[in-house]
Amino acid sequence: MERWTKWLGLLLLVGMILNLYFIFIYAPIEKTMGIVQKIFYFHVPSAFAAFLAFFVVALFSVAFLMKRNYFYDRISYASAEIGVMFTTIVLVTGPIWAKPAWNTWWSWDPRLTTTLILWFIYIGYLVLRDFTGEDERGARFAAVFAIVGFVDVPIVYFSIRWWRTIHPQPVLMGGEGSGLAPKMLFALMFSLAVFLILYFYLLLTRLRLEKARMDVNEMKKAIALQEQ
Amino acid sequence: MENLGYLFAGYAVVWLLLFGYMFSIAKRQKQLEKEIELLKDLKSEN
Repeated sequence: MERWTKWLGLLLLVGMILNLYFIFIYAPIEKTMGIVQKIFYFHVPSAFAAFLAFFVVALFSVAFLMKRNYFYDRISYASAEIGVMFTTIVLVTGPIWAKPAWNTWWSWDPRLTTTLILWFIYIGYLVLRDFTGEDERGARFAAVFAIVGFVDVPIVYFSIRWWRTIHPQPVLMGGEGSGLAPKMLFALMFSLAVFLILYFYLLLTRLRLEKARMDVNEMKKAIALQEQ
Repeated sequence: MENLGYLFAGYAVVWLLLFGYMFSIAKRQKQLEKEIELLKDLKSEN
């Protein structure tokens, strides 16, 4: 796992440097919004990384409920933490972009509101998981909570298609008149790939921590048995 | 180059959050490694 993390870290470093080149030099400045639109190249990939993270949480929560393997529960916990971090990026960069574009920091728009709800759901999951510790019932309850919470992910994604919103329409697989200039599209796709690598890099690093935590618990149990 | 301040703020926040999170993982990892060493000592004493 450590070798993988190192290689992924190296790939991430090179990818991120190239990413910044494509965002700031290669991609043209958008005509209506100006330079501030470049926030988009980190804002959108962060949202996709968060969706992937919460999908992994739900997937391993199902696996945990089926197999009762605690490592699956730990993968869910690690991925939820990373997902919350990416959602925080989305929720902070969004208003910074919105202020010059919409002349307001925040609007209770469907996309923004459902994203905020998503953030609260997984903060709730992390608090719940912290609070219940190694208790099996707690872990099961948290797994069910994570699976139900995942329902909000497609709602966030489709919110701009389902309801009237001031949020920009989808640039990928959107309707007529949507889309990006080829250079902008390339920069976005490249950034999406880099954020995908970033997610897996953080997940592996975070799982190393969980592995160490499991080792500590095992050792504590072994010492307690020795002392009896 | 209007709104350059917003662009700077946006990217600064992203880097702060990313590095802050990575730093917090590294700090927790170090604490656990210390704890593992302590427990190893305790185990060998028993």
